[in-house]
Amino acid sequence: MLDSRLWCGSLFYHAMGVSRVMSPLRVAALVRKEILHIIRDPRNLFLVIISPAFLLFLLSYVFSFEVTKLNLAALDLDRSPASRSYLSSLTNDQELVLTSVIESYQEILPLLVSGDADAVLIIPPSFADTVHGGGPSQVQAIIDGTDPFLSSQAISALGARSGVFVAGIDGNGLMEIVEPIEVRSQAWYNASLESMHSMVPGLLAIVLIMPTMAFALAMTREKETGTLEGLIVTPVSGPEYVAGKLLAYITAGLVSAILAMLVAVLWFKVPFRGNLVAYLVLVADYFLACMGITVVVASFVKSQQAGMFIVLLLFLVPSFFLGGLITPVSTNSLGSILTSYALPSTHFIEISRTVFLKGLGLAHLTRPALLLFGMGVGSIALGLRLFRKKLA
Amino acid sequence: MFLRVGNLILKELIQFSRDRLLAGFIILAPALQLFLMAQATERGITEQPVAVLDLDRSRLSRQLIANLDNNQELHVEYHGENVEGLRDLLDDGHVRLAVVIPAGFAEKLTSVDTPQQIQIIADATNTMAAAVALSAATGVVNRFSADLASSHGMVIPEPIDFRTDVRFNPSMDIQDFTIPAQLGFIIYQVTLAVAALGLARERELGTLEQLMVTPVRRIELTLGKGLPAITIGVLNFAVMLIIALAGFRVPMNGSILLLIALTLLFITTVVGWGLVISAISRTQQQAILFVFIVALMEVTFSGYIVSLKNMPPFLQAISRLAPLQHYLVIVRSIMLKGSTLAELLPQVAALGILSLAIWGLALRCIARTVE
Repeated sequence: MLDSRLWCGSLFYHAMGVSRVMSPLRVAALVRKEILHIIRDPRNLFLVIISPAFLLFLLSYVFSFEVTKLNLAALDLDRSPASRSYLSSLTNDQELVLTSVIESYQEILPLLVSGDADAVLIIPPSFADTVHGGGPSQVQAIIDGTDPFLSSQAISALGARSGVFVAGIDGNGLMEIVEPIEVRSQAWYNASLESMHSMVPGLLAIVLIMPTMAFALAMTREKETGTLEGLIVTPVSGPEYVAGKLLAYITAGLVSAILAMLVAVLWFKVPFRGNLVAYLVLVADYFLACMGITVVVASFVKSQQAGMFIVLLLFLVPSFFLGGLITPVSTNSLGSILTSYALPSTHFIEISRTVFLKGLGLAHLTRPALLLFGMGVGSIALGLRLFRKKLA
Repeated sequence: MFLRVGNLILKELIQFSRDRLLAGFIILAPALQLFLMAQATERGITEQPVAVLDLDRSRLSRQLIANLDNNQELHVEYHGENVEGLRDLLDDGHVRLAVVIPAGFAEKLTSVDTPQQIQIIADATNTMAAAVALSAATGVVNRFSADLASSHGMVIPEPIDFRTDVRFNPSMDIQDFTIPAQLGFIIYQVTLAVAALGLARERELGTLEQLMVTPVRRIELTLGKGLPAITIGVLNFAVMLIIALAGFRVPMNGSILLLIALTLLFITTVVGWGLVISAISRTQQQAILFVFIVALMEVTFSGYIVSLKNMPPFLQAISRLAPLQHYLVIVRSIMLKGSTLAELLPQVAALGILSLAIWGLALRCIARTVE
């Protein structure tokens, strides 16, 4: 009976024009073998199923951008109540911290070079008189520009607070300031601009590369340890081999994704406003793209070491910088657009944030979803071609 | 002893050169990576797409829109027809910001006393980009408002004239800041991975047992695995330094020799860590996992992405164990501030002590497992 099923199956596939027989039974057996491999080895199990959730936990704390405290040094040449009240108004909300008060110009540069101060403020001798007289008093800030993010934060913090101080000077003939235009701003999808809510869904794209890493190791391990030759002797065909591995690892990956999502929602309290099933379908789509590319890569690679390197360098590291995780995707040059779009994680970061925060479904995500699907199917087709040649 | 170490190194090099793909990848990919990452972080957050709904269509509103477009961080790409259109643009992620100018804006500005409202809506799925876009747009509107007020005779007093003078990186060029860090980060990755996989691979393939039968002593084995890894690290560094200096024109205000010497110290420390991982892992997969976790902790504690000042003091203390942290200070100080050895003594001392301690630990671990 089994024979006739296989025979019918092969007829069917021949009719479909597929030159190799793809037997669902054999693929199922391979899937079972791969899953057993995963479950029986605790290290492999950790890598595939648990590491995404674990990594999400770690990485989210790394990327939680809190406001950095800036170290301020002050050269107060006025020493008046006005200058002291200015200094305290600059530092009262703790973003700027007054770490030292210096006495002379010579002390400025060493403080900046050593990094003890991020900025040095110089208050001129006639500060109090000039300010009370209404005229502008020149306050100078010398800023350490080594870290542009910190220095621009310092400039805007100092500037904004100086502005507030101005508005706060009371009495003495200063007119009431009525601005003609008022700005009403709103942040959609993440009203409190909570950085975790933005980072955690984005980081899911990064941590879900781990199942792909495990898949890459699985593809290369059999070649390296020599057990692949044993498989070649069996009736298993190239496509069946790849399909078996893919199905097993995508399934395991989905389990790990669910665990990671639990961490995101229950621990980090990121709102999940979308449809769970749709999201899991998109996760599988993402795995298809990443693992598909890995299939192509694996046909050139001879060792697990190389496989690991390639996944690391090709997927993991660029995703941090080119995927739109922190800074949005750079549309400056054609080159940067191409490289960002060629990376599967760029699309999944968008998908993840859209489903979690915007609560939108497949209708709004057709472009990234189709791109991922195309990448996956295309690279698997290419990989099968190459694989066949190697097996032969 | 040197002969044996030399032979081991030769063996490593032969093995390395046989796997052409891996060899090429290890040398070229980091350089490629540096190139790509530097490209991506070129201008920070700029040219964020903005949609404007101008319900007033006056000369004044068009001027405001032009001001928004002129701003470096914003780029007006869409002119909406209605609120639904704006909502769709935000939902689909086509714009970062939507600005609504109400009808009668210009008229009421000059005739009525109450302030006119401009609504700004940001897509906050990327909080950093949203914050930058919001503050840029708010800044433009506020300046527009102040100019308007002064042109109508309202005087807004400015008792404080605030001047800034930025040192060491006056243009606040983001690339000059991030590329040295990326350099350190990439060298760290590659060196750690190569060193960590060394022994684990031999153990998994079974060739370690064969080595144990030979007269090779554990210190020779350690050196034999460690020195090739150091060489690979140095090679990578050389390639990437050339790219950084010649390609991206990152300034080199300090001494190149000092940089190379201290980089060698850094690489040695990292290889030490790799050897420890290599010694305690029984399979390559375990080694890879460890590399991953160690690398992540390094990145967290190095201040590479997140500033260290945010962390509680005891975590900051632990972070001193991360060689990457010290190296980032070193490389940035030498390249941007032109620091000398004397100024960097704390970092050099830290790296020196760390490397001695780690290599000692590596020797002990290898001793235990080789038996």
